[in-house]
Amino acid sequence: MKNSAVTVSSLVLGSLLAAPALAQSEGAEYYNDRYCMTCHGADGMGSEGISAPRLAGMEPWYLKRQLENFRAGVRGTHPMDLQGREMQPMAVPLTDASIAELLEWIGGWEYKPAEITLQADAAAGAPLYAACASCHGSAAEGNEALGAPALAGQNDWYLFTQLKNFKAGYRGTHAGDTYGAQMAPMAAALPDDTAILNVVSYINTLGR
Amino acid sequence: MSNPVSRREFMNLLGATFGTGTLIRVSSALGLLPAVAALTRPVLAAPAPGAGKVVVLGAGISGLTVAWELTKVGYDVTVLEASNRAGGRIMTVRSGDVVDEIGNRQVCEWDNEPHMYFNAGAARIPSTHRNLLSYCKELGVDLEVFINESKTALIQDDAMLDGKPLRNADVSTNVRGFLGELFAKSFTTAQLEQPFTESEAETILGLIRGFGSLNRDMKYTGSNRNGYASGGFIDHGVQKEIIEFKHLMKSRLIGNTLSANEGETGPILMQPVGGMDRITAGFTRALGERVKYQTPVLSVKVRADGVDVAYLQDGAPQTIAADYCFNCIPAHFMSGIENNLPAEYMQAMKYIRRGEAIKGAFQAKERFWEKEEIYGGISWTSAPIRQLWYPSHGIHKDKGVILAAYDFGNGMEYTRMTQAERVEWLLKGGEKLHPNYRQLVEKPITIAWHRMNHMLGCSARWGRSGGGMTPEEEALYHTLQAPALGRHYMIGDQISFHGAWQESAILSAHWALADMEQRVRSAA
Repeated sequence: MKNSAVTVSSLVLGSLLAAPALAQSEGAEYYNDRYCMTCHGADGMGSEGISAPRLAGMEPWYLKRQLENFRAGVRGTHPMDLQGREMQPMAVPLTDASIAELLEWIGGWEYKPAEITLQADAAAGAPLYAACASCHGSAAEGNEALGAPALAGQNDWYLFTQLKNFKAGYRGTHAGDTYGAQMAPMAAALPDDTAILNVVSYINTLGR
Repeated sequence: MSNPVSRREFMNLLGATFGTGTLIRVSSALGLLPAVAALTRPVLAAPAPGAGKVVVLGAGISGLTVAWELTKVGYDVTVLEASNRAGGRIMTVRSGDVVDEIGNRQVCEWDNEPHMYFNAGAARIPSTHRNLLSYCKELGVDLEVFINESKTALIQDDAMLDGKPLRNADVSTNVRGFLGELFAKSFTTAQLEQPFTESEAETILGLIRGFGSLNRDMKYTGSNRNGYASGGFIDHGVQKEIIEFKHLMKSRLIGNTLSANEGETGPILMQPVGGMDRITAGFTRALGERVKYQTPVLSVKVRADGVDVAYLQDGAPQTIAADYCFNCIPAHFMSGIENNLPAEYMQAMKYIRRGEAIKGAFQAKERFWEKEEIYGGISWTSAPIRQLWYPSHGIHKDKGVILAAYDFGNGMEYTRMTQAERVEWLLKGGEKLHPNYRQLVEKPITIAWHRMNHMLGCSARWGRSGGGMTPEEEALYHTLQAPALGRHYMIGDQISFHGAWQESAILSAHWALADMEQRVRSAA
């Protein structure tokens, strides 16, 4: 069924399918291109060049919520959320079924902890992280019951951008973003970029 | 070695041994090459047995150039291309083609006719781009003239004369008339500061008069340079009214109008008959099965004696162990591909910004511009679409494809629009130039290079200061141009000072080939 029509699910589900016989000849139709990997990197390892975070290893429930938020415009519509606005149109054509298929696909990717690119004062970040730990866990392992994703092993530049976006109100201010609304005041409590860098540096020291 | 080495062979050897830069410098010193661009193809030797495996990442024109040159001398070359087509930003859209923009997939529904196409990326070949032209010749790519400037095309600016479109000739003639008067007035002062002989002064005044189309009193009183208001063939021509400079100076497009035939667009421009991708097709025809499509690269690992590349084919991981690797994957993707490239190399790549650019095109139901005496050329507008390009080909056919927008700097805003919003943006811009535009065009195509699958950007942006590369940026550039461990070369127009031109990509490829050849020879 998946080769019969160009559906979103077939577009994003390439790796689950046998490639069409035409795959090797120029001009073949695009049934199996991997849009996720174009930005998010090989096996969803994240790509700093595109500012697209690591997806491999991300919790399915969190991915699902974010894809739904992007699709509904709850996330990625604030004019200042530049990266979110790049992502948002990707999610618009997704159906519930295609999101489920996507999650299955992403779940099959090899998880590798993201490379550490930011180094600030992790010791100064440790006490700041105490507030984060209540939801995200002391090892930044995440907590599904609280809707808080794992932070350990995520691209540190992505965490930095998102904390800044939450603090500035570029994320988490949409009326439909229930969990984002919880996160926003936490980020606002971080006084400045230095504090954000420090807390991200501390997260970098946790289990990867 | 008893045969004497000809000067040409000597030069080629120098080029291959010390890089093309050497070739150009030495040649100029010997006075062999006048002030024309150099043909930089390095002379390559056949590989040593068991040492001729090369993997090329990306089937952009730089990758294809490397693949073709190495294939000709006996290397075993594989080109891995992530998408289903070669060419990268050399892309021609015609009937039935898919525009693989992420989140905005389009299928072209134009009439299926040879002249009904649109070059969505590279679109012009200056006669000075000799290396590209030499490949066109070698690969049998027929060329035709591309009309870049048409004096009957339009200049429209909301800030000028209530936004009324003017003919290019009316703008340029009147601006030159004004400037001519200005020169004539200031000439007396100039003469005092730097005395000229009487005959020199006469020559200069003659030039000024000619420049501005001035009368004997050195006054601009209108001209027939921009044609007549009426008549001129079998009855007297009626001169057009002067458009005062105070109106024209309101538009910032005057500079574009006066410099359309200068710089890169100064030489005669050309295009391949049938679409720019005829060039890519020439290469891929020659390379055959060596180009593998839909084979995205997963990892690049450089060794002291080669490069290992993993990629996907038919959904399954494959590997190639090559002696050399030439990589024209857009630099911004490399951080998403597992690799062991040196840290300073990756730092340089991460420094490059993704270029933003958008083009749009419509099928025109009729060639309405021809009824307005416009054949080819470009109209400029202050509307965000910036430009309308009238096709140089298909003259007097029923329909044509009109390039409906080319924003080469601020494309990001439009890339975020929905297709419907973009189309409205195209129509609104076009209407400024041609009032019935909306009724005359159909079947829109938009190409936002920032969002195109496997590209996600137009030409690489190195400079952030606005005035070319800083010394620091130049250092990063040279870091990236040099091969990693002597085995992995980044290539493409991204590794040049002059992005977005095919010639730059080819020169980058030639540089890398010459460098490799030097290493191969010195190791032998």
